Amino acid sequence: MSLFALLLLPFAYIILALLIKKASIKKRLAILFATANFLWALALIPLVQFKEMIVVQTGGWQAPYGITLVADKLSVFMLVMVAIIFLVTTIYATQAVDKERRKSGHYFFSFGILMGVNGSLIAGDVFNLYVWYEVMLMSSFILISLGGEKAQMEGSIKYLILNLISALFFVSGVGLLYGNLGSLNMADLSRIIANQPELLPQLNPALILMFVSFAIKGALVPFFFWLPASYHTPPPAVTALFAGLLTKVGIYSLIRFYTLFLYHDAPFWNQLILIMGSLSMIIGVFAASSQYDFRKILSFHIISQVGYAVIALGFYSVAGIAAAIFFLGHNMLSKTNAFLVAGWIKHHKGTLNLKTLGEVYKESTIWGVLFFISAFSLAGLPPLSGFVGKYLIIKAGIEANQLTVTLIALFVGLFTLFSMVKIWLEVFWKNKPRDKVVKAPLPPPKDHWMLTTSVVMAILIVAMGVWAQPIINFCEAAAFDLMNPDKYIEFVLGKS
Amino acid sequence: MELVIAIFIGLLFACGVYLILRRSIVKVILGIFVLSNATNLIIFLAGGIRSEQIPFIAEGEQTLDPALINDPVAQVLVLKAIVIGLGIAAYILALKYRYFQVTGTHDLDLLKNTDQR
Repeated sequence: MSLFALLLLPFAYIILALLIKKASIKKRLAILFATANFLWALALIPLVQFKEMIVVQTGGWQAPYGITLVADKLSVFMLVMVAIIFLVTTIYATQAVDKERRKSGHYFFSFGILMGVNGSLIAGDVFNLYVWYEVMLMSSFILISLGGEKAQMEGSIKYLILNLISALFFVSGVGLLYGNLGSLNMADLSRIIANQPELLPQLNPALILMFVSFAIKGALVPFFFWLPASYHTPPPAVTALFAGLLTKVGIYSLIRFYTLFLYHDAPFWNQLILIMGSLSMIIGVFAASSQYDFRKILSFHIISQVGYAVIALGFYSVAGIAAAIFFLGHNMLSKTNAFLVAGWIKHHKGTLNLKTLGEVYKESTIWGVLFFISAFSLAGLPPLSGFVGKYLIIKAGIEANQLTVTLIALFVGLFTLFSMVKIWLEVFWKNKPRDKVVKAPLPPPKDHWMLTTSVVMAILIVAMGVWAQPIINFCEAAAFDLMNPDKYIEFVLGKS
Repeated sequence: MELVIAIFIGLLFACGVYLILRRSIVKVILGIFVLSNATNLIIFLAGGIRSEQIPFIAEGEQTLDPALINDPVAQVLVLKAIVIGLGIAAYILALKYRYFQVTGTHDLDLLKNTDQR
């Protein structure tokens, strides 16, 4: 029951939004339901600490036959982070998204995304995971093209086609896996593979297909091209939501699959994951440094930072996986907040081109500080959350004897700092170029809610850095569970 | 029978990949449709193809020999995948229509304004 609510709350909002015509009521209901979802996700933390895992068998069908919903510590951590991001962007959207878009279903489809993301985080069944992916993708397709501007259309066609190919890869992988093993339940599949390791070579096509699908979804090199081509086209509130949720679900699924299936052939997958992660870090950060658009720089940074989480997974130790989980959480907060600041600048200055902006710090100190906090958290300066995340990853890398990759991670951190300083200098510091005048939207729109949400996010970033220990403990407990898949199998299938 | 269908799936994938590499957006979209049907057939084939018996337990019997029947679960999955594919087909065609209204072109090579340079 406790897990159904995570799917029913967004669904209830979607139904209500169809019935209600008035925009202001829709807006209030959206905030109400997002808050309820957040509180529900919070309530799962003590539950999962007390009972280790929450398992729900839908319709009372026993595990390998019915659809299973499972929430372990990793899922709950991600659910809480997703709920925070969703609540914040929902409130932010009340002022950042124009009335036309809000009327034509901005909240409606963002709740569709929430339902898909929540579903993928608690799916205990491979086909079910695919269906939730599809729910999430459909809503994001519509949200990214909502409004129908020219750049948006272009961006959404690229986003749509590459993500559809990822979904096709995934579903063919599911088909091959089912043909080979005759089961769809993740725990059951993991047990079959553990009992019959001789089956592993014939599963490789299916696992590779699924891995590629997650790599496309998580924007790893060389599958990232859809992300920087589309993320800067929709309204900033939508980009903030996407940046916080979508790629991270791909990485979550990779962690889940890795610890249930791929670890049987660890030497091969570790190499592959480390190489792809390192390339993502390097290529993402170099491409980001060369851009002159606020949101494009941040979009390329998503690729670079997803690489960090992935190399931490490739170390394959409790410390490494704990670092990956912590880093995902930190990255969701910091990245979303950086996009929230970008949204405010777009709202007030009418452009995000670094060459035409300037002097923002002088005009609005508070937004300068907010950007400073999230940017330097991304770059990894103490005492912000990014420092703790990178410290954990580098420590895990040294412990796992992966010095090359660890040095690459440190080296990339330097360039992250460089590109963040570039935004800082160009947007907030330098004198406004007098020859390039961009008309600001008049009159300046109200922004108190935008400011409040961004301040809350900044406080969370600082808090996650300063009071990191309880969160690290939770992540380590989650990683410990993930490294012992027998526990997961036993919880889902019962004692054998 | 399975071999024939497997070869057919391979052909469909080849056609789909050929289509999504074309310049016209309409052909790319058709390629997506072909690919999605090819993946549906993969799931269908994963359930096995046997025509001895329908997957019902006959009256008075307790069990059913799994070697005689198709796996019905795979066919349920195909149904689900077809429905999802239909929804996506409807949306992608609507998006294409709107795109054509806004930009007046079918050419993917003109779609480079949002790319990184």
